Amino acid sequence: MTVSRAMALLQTAELPPLTQPVIVAVAVAYFAIVATIGMWATRRTRTASDFFVAGQGIGLWPLAIAAMSATLSGFAFIGGPGLVYQIGIGAVFIILPVSLTNAMGAWVLGKRMRLLAEVRTMITVPDAIGARYDSPFAQGLAAIAILIAVIGYMATNMLALGLVIDAIFDTGLGAGIWIGMLITLAYSVSGGILAGVYTDVFQGSLMALASVLVFVYVLEIGGGMGGMSRTILASDALFLGPWGKLSPLAALSFFFVFGLGSLGQPHVIHKFYMLKDPRRLKWYPLIMTSALFVTLLLYVGVGLVVKALVARGELAPLASPDDATPTFLLRFTPVFLSALVFSGVAAAIMSTVNSFMSISAAALTHDLPVALGRRVTNELLWGRISTIVISVAAALVAQASGTLVAFLGIFGWGLFASTLVPALAVGLNWEGATRAGAIASIATGIVVTLLSETLAYFKVYSFPTGVTVSGLSLVASLLVFFIVSWLTRSTASATLPPDVRVVMEI
Amino acid sequence: MTRSAALLGLVGGVTLIAVAYVGVFATGTASPWMTWVYMIGTSTTMLAMMVLGAVRGTGGIRRLLMPFAAIYMLLIVGFSAVLLMPPESAESNLWLGLPPRTAIVLYGIGILPLLLLPLAYAFTFDSMALSEADLARVGELRRLREATRVAVEDAP
Repeated sequence: MTVSRAMALLQTAELPPLTQPVIVAVAVAYFAIVATIGMWATRRTRTASDFFVAGQGIGLWPLAIAAMSATLSGFAFIGGPGLVYQIGIGAVFIILPVSLTNAMGAWVLGKRMRLLAEVRTMITVPDAIGARYDSPFAQGLAAIAILIAVIGYMATNMLALGLVIDAIFDTGLGAGIWIGMLITLAYSVSGGILAGVYTDVFQGSLMALASVLVFVYVLEIGGGMGGMSRTILASDALFLGPWGKLSPLAALSFFFVFGLGSLGQPHVIHKFYMLKDPRRLKWYPLIMTSALFVTLLLYVGVGLVVKALVARGELAPLASPDDATPTFLLRFTPVFLSALVFSGVAAAIMSTVNSFMSISAAALTHDLPVALGRRVTNELLWGRISTIVISVAAALVAQASGTLVAFLGIFGWGLFASTLVPALAVGLNWEGATRAGAIASIATGIVVTLLSETLAYFKVYSFPTGVTVSGLSLVASLLVFFIVSWLTRSTASATLPPDVRVVMEI
Repeated sequence: MTRSAALLGLVGGVTLIAVAYVGVFATGTASPWMTWVYMIGTSTTMLAMMVLGAVRGTGGIRRLLMPFAAIYMLLIVGFSAVLLMPPESAESNLWLGLPPRTAIVLYGIGILPLLLLPLAYAFTFDSMALSEADLARVGELRRLREATRVAVEDAP
């Protein structure tokens, strides 16, 4: 269960009450700033291109910080440190590939997706698949996979946002979910992705600042890395081993799925379309990697220091691993810093939800009609309507039951990875990929992920220790992609439009 | 040639991971050889994907050869060391505040590539990723496509 929770990047446990005046005041100020940015962006959103890809006018720094914000959900601040506290260093394998993934993403996708947007009108990630294989069907299938994954992902994030708002404002969980959804929806539906990007810049900066400050306290209170290590080794050496309490295979499986799978996360790679000048991609990996590294210091540090404090007897063992961050902050850091982090948690969740709202609305109003041979006449209006419909649906799911949310939440990352990595990441770099291969791999990703997760979740079948469904489905869809493309290789050049071929040659 | 090698590496890496999974399903548990196979498969897949993205047309990876080789060695040697070295105990030495195997994972695999790869990307960007000439070529393509679209729309 721990592994599947980690694969889902879930944050569904209640937080302790945070209703202190400073925390409430900082949270109110934070929401006011987000609302102001949303209003500013609304005045600049006039077309569907503005709404879905910010009119391809975003600079490098906002793009990198926004991509970082969208990558990290509230899991990085609450669930992640809790997982480190629970299973030790093994939990770090979820974020370990960050050292590779941003440069890999720039090489594999950054340039090609941005150049595709130069030669064609590109609004969505499935647009790139449709263009690459000259196939509206493949585009529609990718959009369906995105919609399935997004509803669950959004529901888990809205539940997490509801928990944070409830803890800060004492609203009750149900009201917290709807308040959080309405605030995010307000700026998303009016200002579209433009509002999303600039609130992400603010939110990402807040997250990075909060993380660095907390890490300073971690080192001071824990007695440095050496002090924490000595304490933990004396009481629980396995915890501090390289795999923590996971098997080596499970830890490596995290490395594979969160490494290669990063190439299939539409809410992040979609942002490549938005860059104003393609040549500015040059410094994207450095900025994005540095920002992620700084922001993830809290993830590792808090889990370790809380474990050390418990081992020293300075803290009682936690009732729930997700209490690690709130307990450490409330007990050992100034209240203003706690307030900053809790606003940072809300920031992380809202930036992710906003990105999901945008890509799912685009899938509904743009990709599915294209797959059916139709065009929506007013994509801006319908984009806004779709954003509302999807958000309400996700909030209803979030409120329905914890079991349903947990079940839907585990699909997210793995479904994105298994359906988009072969067709998009490999396909944009291999002229031998075929339309049939792409369609077969997307279908394999959907079927294997949904079937395996359902069997595992309802305990119809127990996967052997160390085997993750996400890893299994990613491998299956990649193999199907290669095999079917090879079997249909005579059609490869026929399914590669000339302009896309030029983009792939560069 | 380089592209073919990268594709071969990608297919080979993914196949190794699949073999490890089959082994786990067949025996119900992950024996050490499956972990080794999975580790080599994962490292190879990640590297092959980067090479596939970096290579241009039928050209090679030129100045990226050394950074990519270094990263591959780092992953293979780093994970191998972690799999071979003795487990931690209360008396373990610390490397920069962490037990040796954990230090290899966090500092070696987690932090070293973080500096190496983004800098390699930036310093080879103009010559290997996207030059002004490339952008001009894409611009010409866009103008051609736009002209074709206008011509089709204007046709009686």
